[in-house]
Amino acid sequence: MELVAIFVSAILINNFVLYYFLGICPFLGVSKKISSALSMGLAVTFVMTITAVVSWAINHWILIPHKLDYLQIVSFILVIASLVQLVEMFIRKMSPPLYQALGIYLPLITTNCSIMFLALLAALRNYSLAEAVAFGVGSGLGFTLAIILMAGIREQLDLADVPEPLKGAGIALIVAGIMALAFMGFIGMIK
Amino acid sequence: MSTRSIGQEFVKGLWDENPVFRQLLGLCPTLAVTGWVINGLAMGLATSFVLIFSSLVVSSIKKFIPSQVRIASYIVIIATFVTIADRCMAAFFPLISKNLGPYIPLIVVNCIILGRQEAFSSRNSVGRSFIDALGMSSGFVLALLILSSIREVLGVGTFLGLQVMGTWFKPWIIMILPPGAFLTLGILLGIALHIERKTKARK
Amino acid sequence: MSLSARMIIVLTFVGLLSGSFLATVDLLTKERIELNRQREIEEAILQVVPGTHSSQKLYEEKDLTVYGGKDKKGILVGFAIQASGIGFQGKITLMLGTNPSIKKINSLKVIDQKETPGLGAKINDRESFLKFWDNKDCSNLLTLHKPAVKTQEELSHSEINTITGATISSEAVLNLVNSSLNRLRQLEKEGSLSSEEQDVN
Repeated sequence: MELVAIFVSAILINNFVLYYFLGICPFLGVSKKISSALSMGLAVTFVMTITAVVSWAINHWILIPHKLDYLQIVSFILVIASLVQLVEMFIRKMSPPLYQALGIYLPLITTNCSIMFLALLAALRNYSLAEAVAFGVGSGLGFTLAIILMAGIREQLDLADVPEPLKGAGIALIVAGIMALAFMGFIGMIK
Repeated sequence: MSTRSIGQEFVKGLWDENPVFRQLLGLCPTLAVTGWVINGLAMGLATSFVLIFSSLVVSSIKKFIPSQVRIASYIVIIATFVTIADRCMAAFFPLISKNLGPYIPLIVVNCIILGRQEAFSSRNSVGRSFIDALGMSSGFVLALLILSSIREVLGVGTFLGLQVMGTWFKPWIIMILPPGAFLTLGILLGIALHIERKTKARK
Repeated sequence: MSLSARMIIVLTFVGLLSGSFLATVDLLTKERIELNRQREIEEAILQVVPGTHSSQKLYEEKDLTVYGGKDKKGILVGFAIQASGIGFQGKITLMLGTNPSIKKINSLKVIDQKETPGLGAKINDRESFLKFWDNKDCSNLLTLHKPAVKTQEELSHSEINTITGATISSEAVLNLVNSSLNRLRQLEKEGSLSSEEQDVN
């Protein structure tokens, strides 16, 4: 039950983009077309799931037993950066079609703060391995949902008459605000 | 190599190359912590600390770092200063540290910092890098202050916790909630672009 | 020197330097951070169990910690329960003080909450919510009084005020208090609240 709660709340209630404001750069940058938004979302979900497992392992097997918690930030960021590279190499070798789809989005993920936040929050909340995975997958899907919705709206927005200075990032943020407002309706869903 | 004067080097961060309004960098913390002026200010100062010291270190040791491992080295340097900031805040300002929570460690992935190392500190002298970092930090703090002032005053009617709106004022709670962050920044970006166009047109 | 050797040397050097630097910072700040954490708990205990001179952790389980407050002579003046539960939007952590017989609530303090600012977050507001918990008789199960009232006199002895527009948050606090009180009584009956453990101070 706890796991379902973590999972659902990561997708809808505490959505990484619309509630925690993470990954705003890709959210604004890669949301012009639904197809690329979907690929970006899946790439993030993939990396998040692996990060949840790896950061949990590092935290519980290395940092906590040796009382090295002050190295948490340094080790998490290094692990995430190398993980993204590894995942990229691995996918290129194992599945060229998948690489074709996700390839150019993977390097962008290193600078996506949501991955780092995921690792930090899971450590801060003292999640078990299963909880961390549920949190990772949920957060990734939440990001995917937000970015796809955004891309859907922006494809329509091209046809709208937006005031000149608001074109681009301005109107995208305002749309995001309205989406965040809509997502607030999910609050209180889990009791 | 930069050809600007020292003064220009500083001022460019405030407006022309303002990291938030002009370059759209570091938007995540800008949106996340600006519900209250005190949080925005603390975030701005912590980020400035990390940016300034990272720039000083990177620009002074740039000669020794082979370009293949420069990003990795920069990340370690930045992460070190972020940890220092995080620890010191937890030790000396426990309340603010609790409010900002994991957003302080998140400074490590703030693209403004890595961006300045890559674009400026790794190619310029220590002095210039310091001025550049100072200017960019001020620009970032300025952006956070503007955003958080608007949100706190309209959202709860206070500024730094002091009541500034009269009793007639009914707070727009939405402003300190997540949607308020997106809406305010979206409109501010529009205004910034509008001013930019106006000044360009006049020239 | 070959490039790869230089790369390894530089990275090792940067890593070592950063590691040792951080170890020093950790050493310098660790005690203070720990102290801050302890002080926060101690202050909260003192607020909800007035007259406490020293406090002890008596019992701990997931989402519930019981402290005992003692006066200068070492006589128990009350219990302080730190309890966490799910609110409207996230976790709520409370500190609840009772008298030694667990018949009366001294007062309630919110330690951490993520409720909606301006609505549910009012569970941390004295005027509209917290003051109604002061000196509350808790020998019976507490219930919520709807709609919200302004003064204590308008409530019956086992009723707690609701926050206008935030019934769910108010209910969450109420349920958390009721369940922790039940648990405390149960623990006391079992004799689990022994005071052999170490002083918090």
